[in-house]
Amino acid sequence: MSDPIEVGRLLRASTTGCVVGCRLSQWGVPSFGALLRIPLGGSSDYQIYGLIYDIHVDDDGLVRQLATTVHVSEDVIADNRINRNVPLEISVVFVGFQEHGRSLHLLPPRPPLSLDAIYTCTGEELCQFTVSGSFGYFRHVLRNADLPVGEMLAAHLRQAAAAHAAPGTAFSDPAWAERATQELITLLRDDYPTLMSVLGALGDAGIAFGQMQGGLS
Amino acid sequence: MPVNYQDIQGQIKKMGEMEPQRLQALNALRVQAVALLAAHNTNLDALQDWVKQAATKNQNLRCAVPVAEPLMAHFPPPPMPPQVVILAADGSQINPSRHDSVPFGVINVGAFRMAPGSGQAPAESVSSELITGDDLYAPNGGAIGEEVVALRRDLREREMLAVLAAAEHEDSPGVLVAALTDGPLEPFVREPFNRPDLSDLYMDYLKALRAVVNPFTATAGYVDKPRSDLLVRLLELVTLAESGRLDRAGHERSLPGVTDAGLLADVLRPGERSAIFALQSRTAQTFTDEIAIHFFYMNVGREGSPSLVRVEVPRWVAENAALVGMLHAVLIEQCHVLGNRPYPYTLHRSHEVAVVRFEEKDQLKTMIEMELRSRGISVDGPSNKQATKDNSGKRARHE
Repeated sequence: MSDPIEVGRLLRASTTGCVVGCRLSQWGVPSFGALLRIPLGGSSDYQIYGLIYDIHVDDDGLVRQLATTVHVSEDVIADNRINRNVPLEISVVFVGFQEHGRSLHLLPPRPPLSLDAIYTCTGEELCQFTVSGSFGYFRHVLRNADLPVGEMLAAHLRQAAAAHAAPGTAFSDPAWAERATQELITLLRDDYPTLMSVLGALGDAGIAFGQMQGGLS
Repeated sequence: MPVNYQDIQGQIKKMGEMEPQRLQALNALRVQAVALLAAHNTNLDALQDWVKQAATKNQNLRCAVPVAEPLMAHFPPPPMPPQVVILAADGSQINPSRHDSVPFGVINVGAFRMAPGSGQAPAESVSSELITGDDLYAPNGGAIGEEVVALRRDLREREMLAVLAAAEHEDSPGVLVAALTDGPLEPFVREPFNRPDLSDLYMDYLKALRAVVNPFTATAGYVDKPRSDLLVRLLELVTLAESGRLDRAGHERSLPGVTDAGLLADVLRPGERSAIFALQSRTAQTFTDEIAIHFFYMNVGREGSPSLVRVEVPRWVAENAALVGMLHAVLIEQCHVLGNRPYPYTLHRSHEVAVVRFEEKDQLKTMIEMELRSRGISVDGPSNKQATKDNSGKRARHE
């Protein structure tokens, strides 16, 4: 997560999220739960942040036909991934934006436009975004019943915790994961099923929340 | 109005009742044809002579001419050469229509390149040509027809292959190149030299094919599900020759309905190719010397499910065993890529690259209209007929 990588370009968007199209060959860096940024108009003065909540690989007739053959050569796989318009769609939920260097955990005032480039965030950018404010961006995830909330937050916390734990990263906060988990517990205190789902996923992701568990029982 | 299913249903039933009888008669003819094939398997000199005689009597005679291999010869595919480049080109077109708001045509040619096992990613390229203005009219003043656009498309395919093949030889001298197109090498035009709108294009086509001539390049036209009966027509000459009626060649058919694919289905095992034949036809005579058209059949199917295709090659390929072997191996391997629907992968991909969709035609039409309007040139609407069709089409059942 050191250098920003262009993931793809925007296909469609609203004020709450967007779908990014990318070529399969570009795939490999962003993952489920990752934080992405979309500089608007190519400027870094104003950029939107979002978390990946779905990655969709489409098919077509030729892919289906190839999938049923006994042996698919490397050349054919490369051709289908590089040349053919088989889109890989990444769905992103917006969690905030940055204006003149200040990060806000609010929905962006206006959505990005078609073909805007989308980038992965560096560890520093991830730390900077997650430490600003007081976890307000969680609500954009938690209020969306269609998202795999537990899995998504677990993936995000795991990536962010690793960034915060990395030595020498600006804005890093080694206690961030614990504070984030505590915040989630607070936000979900009245929604027991979702809380259990989130904590279960966090546990599976190896995020420790033992100190808080005492307070739950 | 919808199709009158009641009328059609009766006709389908009648067709079904007659089909077994028709197939039985056809099979009897096929058995006769197979017997003739076996009887004259090595009688190549006599067959060549009969074709020569018959062609003098009927200039429009179209049939196979044996070259050097027995009629029933069949060859398994050789192994793939360690290094080969496969090129394929295909074209599609928008035919100009006087019913459109602006008449225009487009020729789109797509090419695809792969070098199996090289580690290089396959590559595609596309070239688009707009036909507008004076190009929409033939030298004699009339509007160009679909035949002209189709020949122009064939020419562009051929030119693109020539350029790409030359680039391969420049980059890697000595590398074997298979340069494929879909369909016969012989363009489907009648009397090209009697048509001022076609003659120049046709000459250019021959020139472009000649530009590919290279001892390391095998160019070929791939004909899927062929209905041709070139070999069958050769066998019909036997009957006519034996009864001294060669002057009836091409006019009297003793094996009507039998196709070469039906004839060879039991001869060629999966993967095998047939003997190579030359093509006797009026237009094929314009393909002279090293580009003289030859062809062979190939079974690209599986055991129990034969699938015969015809492969047309120019003489420089037909007479070069290494090129024929390479082409045979490449085509079989390419067909295997698509599993139980065998068809060369590279050809399919070049088609994908080339194909122009209806919505793209609309988009281009809008772009041309905008350009003309921005220059103060008025644009007619579509014809009344087209406009009415477009309107009713919005609620049509079939698009």
